[in-house]
Amino acid sequence: MSHRTTREHDELRAIVRELATERIAPRAAEIDAGSEFPWDLKELLAGQDLLGTCFEERHGGTALDNVAQAILVEEIARADATTSLIPIVQKLGALPILIAGSDEQKARYFPRLASGEWLIAFALTEAGAGSDVAAMRMRARRDGDDYLLTGSKRFITHGSIASLLTVFALTDPEAGGRRGMSAFVVETDTPGFSAPRLEHKMGIRGSPTAELNFDDVRVPAANRLGDEGDGFKIAMATLDRSRLSVAAQAVGIAQGALDFAVGYAAERRQFGERVADMQGIQFMLADMASQTEAARQLTYAAAASVDVADPDLAYWTSCAKLVAGDTAMRVTTDAVQVLGGYGYVSEYPVERMMRDAKITQLYEGTQQIQRMIVARQLLKRAGVLRDTKSQRGTPTA
Amino acid sequence: MKIVVCVKQVPATTAEKRYTADLRLDRAAAESVINPLDEYAIEQALRLQEAGAVETVAYLSMGPESAAEALRRALAMGGEEAFQITDDALVGADQWATARVLAAALDKLAPDVALMGMSSDDARGSLVPGAVAAIRGLPLLSYGAELQLTGSTARIRRLTASGFDILEAPLPVVASVTDQVGEPRYASLKGIMAARRKTLETWSLADLGLSSEDLHGAALTRVVEARPPEAKAPTERVENLGPAEAATRIADWLTARKLI
Amino acid sequence: MSNDICFLAEFDGGAPARSALELAAGAAGLARESGGAAVALAYGKGSAAGAASLGSAGASRVVVLADTDGPVIALAAAAAATLRDDAPLALLAPATPNGRDLAAALMGLLGLPALGPVRAVRIEGGRVRAEQSTLQGTVITVSESAPDAPQPVIILALSGTFTPLEGGSGKAAVTTAPPTDAGALGAARVVESHPADAAVANLEEATVIIAGGRGVGSAAGFEPLHELAAALGGAVGASRAAADAGWVPYQLQIGQTGKVVKPALYVGCGISGAIQHRVGMQTAENVVAINKDPDAPIGEFADLFVVGDLFAIVPELTTEIRRRKGMTD
Repeated sequence: MSHRTTREHDELRAIVRELATERIAPRAAEIDAGSEFPWDLKELLAGQDLLGTCFEERHGGTALDNVAQAILVEEIARADATTSLIPIVQKLGALPILIAGSDEQKARYFPRLASGEWLIAFALTEAGAGSDVAAMRMRARRDGDDYLLTGSKRFITHGSIASLLTVFALTDPEAGGRRGMSAFVVETDTPGFSAPRLEHKMGIRGSPTAELNFDDVRVPAANRLGDEGDGFKIAMATLDRSRLSVAAQAVGIAQGALDFAVGYAAERRQFGERVADMQGIQFMLADMASQTEAARQLTYAAAASVDVADPDLAYWTSCAKLVAGDTAMRVTTDAVQVLGGYGYVSEYPVERMMRDAKITQLYEGTQQIQRMIVARQLLKRAGVLRDTKSQRGTPTA
Repeated sequence: MKIVVCVKQVPATTAEKRYTADLRLDRAAAESVINPLDEYAIEQALRLQEAGAVETVAYLSMGPESAAEALRRALAMGGEEAFQITDDALVGADQWATARVLAAALDKLAPDVALMGMSSDDARGSLVPGAVAAIRGLPLLSYGAELQLTGSTARIRRLTASGFDILEAPLPVVASVTDQVGEPRYASLKGIMAARRKTLETWSLADLGLSSEDLHGAALTRVVEARPPEAKAPTERVENLGPAEAATRIADWLTARKLI
Repeated sequence: MSNDICFLAEFDGGAPARSALELAAGAAGLARESGGAAVALAYGKGSAAGAASLGSAGASRVVVLADTDGPVIALAAAAAATLRDDAPLALLAPATPNGRDLAAALMGLLGLPALGPVRAVRIEGGRVRAEQSTLQGTVITVSESAPDAPQPVIILALSGTFTPLEGGSGKAAVTTAPPTDAGALGAARVVESHPADAAVANLEEATVIIAGGRGVGSAAGFEPLHELAAALGGAVGASRAAADAGWVPYQLQIGQTGKVVKPALYVGCGISGAIQHRVGMQTAENVVAINKDPDAPIGEFADLFVVGDLFAIVPELTTEIRRRKGMTD
């Protein structure tokens, strides 16, 4: 899989970088310190049409290719990881509808998502069902033309502020998580829904991570995505694509930390010379740069694989997220090292970047899950493992 | 009602400037942007258009081919069309030649308002608006904190040392505005995508009925010497002094330089 | 064609503006070198009655363009007629909004070369050469008119480029420019005038500027700066951050989108010294900075950089200066 960025990509990067540098970066420290969702920046991004990049023009979107969407996320994350979650989660929540939604469902919801009027969240994880999605307990019982949803979700990014959710629940508990799960679109003003608690997190602190409760939440059958039992397949197809955004976010965080470290090393003097003139520092910066660049190129290659609906796209997006997440963690840690004691204090942004980077190794599949996906694909190719479509799901979009 | 905003591409204020051996700016090495002061003129024109006072906003720029990028960026902010004057004979154009060429292009476009930023970030002469008005024989409304258009007149609010004046002139006019018109918008993604489909016409000097002779080469002035700025005397730093001691040090310093 | 050096002499409130006195001295100096006369083109209320007083400032002749207020560009036709007759070597214009507009119109009407704003002007081998600092001060250029360009060359000069003569006793011959149709350039009129409650200092005329930035924190925080300015006989200026915050009137903004100043002394208080501010004050002759951030960029280009709390230091400095000047409260 190869890719080439175009003039349009470069133009997009320049525009988003200017916006992120002037308007987002100056807010990053206070967003982190106050753990408050940056509604002002949500409005800013919405006003610049940057929340509708995954939607078609007839739905009010701009239908950017996946490389462009990655560049967008990367440039925002370079300034602030929390803010980059706004477009990331808008896409994550919408992907189940993009993948399995009917034309009617898309027309009903996408314009308000593309304009940013509504935020959406993706409600899959439960307290007892994280990496093991199939261990889900949440129920959806049929009741006439409706379903009644009961249960709870945990670690749902933007779950407390979204107007819309894509929710996964068991319609057939007997059949188990893989075959008995279905997906629904739920408007959060429906009676019985609540978001009782937020997590206190190490990083991405301005982005609310909510526990969600569903107490006989009535959802019309017209809001079911695909058929009953399609839920697991839809969830996996969503994650195969959405982890591309996490890879891009990780690349952005790494680049932000690298850029700050370079600027600092060029200014700061110790032992009578610039820190940047010390070879030990230069070697660190060189490693940080080359690793970040490698993660970026792999992320773009994965993005290109999604653009052409490559049957192997899960392999590519997992490789990208694995490499980019680890790179973000390593590069931000090294950036703290380059700054020395100043790197460890909140007066400088790199400790925040380091805390933010950690999440990219955890969410939308831990690094261990990514390795499982990559390994399974390798073994499948080698003929050691039979293609188990029912387990992995295939893209339908 | 039609406004033509004159836009200049300049090296970014914060860009590191590198010079060739003969101390000409290496423009390829410096990031280029729309002159920041022209962005306010663009913003003013677009606000008037949004308020319904103007039907068409067009852009005009003189510069090398690469300056088309500035026009594309302007079109991404809004407006309908752009015109670029580019000609090898214009390399090294001074303020007079620039004014002469813009005036000819504006005669051709015949807008109700030719709008400019109050100065360019690289040269800061601020002479082009007044010269264009003089060459075209039109009134000048300069340094506006706001431009208003009503019927057949244009008005600007201009800050004075003791408040502000309202100046008025019959259309068509040449006008320039300051940063008081309001913060320039960022180009939206849809704006950027729409800009790719907007007209960007390129004109040569001949298209304007001008020749290199009309422009005295390209300049009535010439640079005879360029050199790096003088090395500044090192900064004298005063740290860790109490307020009274620090004040005394400053006062001594001022006294030694006969500034008190 | 003559070797005269003309200059634009603005009158303000019945007396010559400081720029007129500075340019008179500059023109007189250059005229001595060129072997011509220093000729004032005077305008503004009081210019007819006060024209002769420019003699002691350095002018040997004064042509009164109009004894009126209003947009100065309306006088372009009258000024052009005078310049056409004399065709002097150079025309010095103050780099103020009015000065620039009139200079610009003359450049356009007569097809004249123009240079500036300049840091210095001299005459070498009968040619006027001007030194400019361009591209945010990253390069110094020396320029002149092209060999067969018409005269005069217009030179824009920032306030502070020349020093007014003291104790001059020269006399100037005064004439009045014949009435000239201003044409379209006279069509822009002031239709309303709204004075502010309190007059704002004219930064372009100030030789000492005490500037405040983000670090000043509030409108009230500017009070000690005003007191220091009063003690030093200067004016208060501001960075864009302070003007945008509404702590001082916008007219006091120095920098990329504000005024360009060239005072003998600039004291920056709580100003970081970002490039956007620096371009407005980098030609100041002496730069003092007071900032509590030891890494503030202004520390890189100030002549004297005091790391400390401006609210503690500035009042002490005011007291000390009053003491040395023998001033009493």
